[in-house]
Amino acid sequence: MINRKLLFIYLLMFILLVMTFLFSLMYGSNKISFIEVSKALFGSIDIDENIAVIIKQIRLPRTIMTCIVGAGLAVSGCVFQAILKNPLADPFTLGISSGAALGVTIAFVLGLSSIRNFFIPFCAFIGMTISVIIVYLLSVRRRFASKTMILSGVVVSYIFSSAAMLLFALSPSSSVQTAFIWLLGDFSNFDERLLPFTFVVILVSIIILSLFGNVINTVCLSDEKSKTFGIDIEKNITFLFFTASIITSATVSVCGIIGFIGLIIPHAMRKIIGTNNNMLLIPASAFSGAFFLPFCDTLSRVLFSPILIPIGIITNIIGGFFFVYLLLKSDGAIQNGAYR
Amino acid sequence: MVHIDNVSTCYLNKEILKNISFKVNERDFLGIIGKNGVGKSTLLKVLCKLVKPYSGNVFIDCKNINCFSKKEFAKMVSFLPQYLDTSLSFNVFEFIMFGRYPYMNALKIPSSKDYIAVKKIMNFLQITNLSQRKINELSGGEKQKILIAQVLAQETDIIVFDEPTSHLDIGGQNDILEILRDLNENYNKIIILTLHDLNVASEFCNKLVLLENGSICKQGVPEEVLNHVDIERVYNTKVIVEMNPISNRPYIIQVSKNLIA
Repeated sequence: MINRKLLFIYLLMFILLVMTFLFSLMYGSNKISFIEVSKALFGSIDIDENIAVIIKQIRLPRTIMTCIVGAGLAVSGCVFQAILKNPLADPFTLGISSGAALGVTIAFVLGLSSIRNFFIPFCAFIGMTISVIIVYLLSVRRRFASKTMILSGVVVSYIFSSAAMLLFALSPSSSVQTAFIWLLGDFSNFDERLLPFTFVVILVSIIILSLFGNVINTVCLSDEKSKTFGIDIEKNITFLFFTASIITSATVSVCGIIGFIGLIIPHAMRKIIGTNNNMLLIPASAFSGAFFLPFCDTLSRVLFSPILIPIGIITNIIGGFFFVYLLLKSDGAIQNGAYR
Repeated sequence: MVHIDNVSTCYLNKEILKNISFKVNERDFLGIIGKNGVGKSTLLKVLCKLVKPYSGNVFIDCKNINCFSKKEFAKMVSFLPQYLDTSLSFNVFEFIMFGRYPYMNALKIPSSKDYIAVKKIMNFLQITNLSQRKINELSGGEKQKILIAQVLAQETDIIVFDEPTSHLDIGGQNDILEILRDLNENYNKIIILTLHDLNVASEFCNKLVLLENGSICKQGVPEEVLNHVDIERVYNTKVIVEMNPISNRPYIIQVSKNLIA
């Protein structure tokens, strides 16, 4: 019976994913009909050249990118909530975003961005790697106690963002603005050459984490208990922490910081599927992230067309209202930890 | 057989346990008693390889516990800590399944053997009806049973409990302790536990270790250990020690100091 329920959930998610995918291809600054979309996708000859270009070279890469980034952020949020034993954790709790911010700011201030576009994601990635390694080194001495990890994350976050602020304050205003907008999270001008690379990295990480679902369960238990089950908890946390960080860095390098999705999707999925089986929780989060983000992205293009609004605004508004709904529906559940 | 040999531990440069030595034999039901903060829990943790002593060794079947791999050790000794975060909303069946982790591969995917083992334990403890309930929705007594089930799923010969009955009513306490006695008598498990309730310790344990300031004050059968001189000194209170007419074990009544004066 449980399996039938799950099968239904997966089927529903798959349908939703396909529907959002089409929705995202069809709508934008101008609407393209379903027939024309499919013609363009399957390479039919009798189609307007412009439409084929819009679909294939603009909307398709963007939709694929939003799908994979959404899936990645949802999964990484799920994993961070488990290793930090904290329902309010998300992919950016441990200061990855400030690492990216510093990297990007340096890239803009030094004018690297004008040399080659590729330098921005590269610098973001370097910044994030440094922040992740610092947090790791600070946590490893205290055996990854969740409090220590969160505090290290907060400290790293403060130091890195202050450094970025300092650079902001000292540099000409135009570069500051571009850097700031880049950080806000945006799918409109990512480097298409990064798509295959990002896609593979995130997909492989998600598959690995899905397989290790039951291992993720072990880190939610108390340390003492896990140890008496013969589990090497520190090794597991290290592995999960780095895998989830790789996903997060891959998403940020491509499209900046997109908040809330990594917090809200795991919560919603736990509500529907249950905390218990991370074996299902991870793939389910991936699926729902993969349809939620393209949906928000399409809305951001359509709602105030022709003005494009940053996608972060849409995810935050929808996510925020959804969160309020969850809070009202099951008040008290969060206090006694039912959300973990 | 467990042999604790001259174990000392310290925490933040303060000595917690000093030169503790005792043996636990097959079929022993050993209770560790003593004041709060005397090092009872630390002693259990040393036994379970959770705390490393700075001197001394622990041997199980004449082999030093440091020589066992994590997984091997998890198949020999299981531990139920005093405080356990059971607020996670796992359901009962899945929660008990955690106890099977030492028997699973790296991905921790349960095999049919694991399912059979968990079902058998749930039948044994008569908790099959709770199977699909969430653990954070259960009562204290039910939770304790689930935790015991989880420990039993580990199928170890030695089971260590840190105050398994501390916040249960007397009916619930007896339920749990009868289960432990059954395991000890009929399934040849060595039970090692800490207890606050001296009467419970007297009724159920065949051997007691009384700790005082981090060292062993007295060890032996309850009749020897629970004498009013040692108990009054260790716990710094007035007591009367009487005999339980049915079990012929000592029982202890606290007396307010003003009444004696």
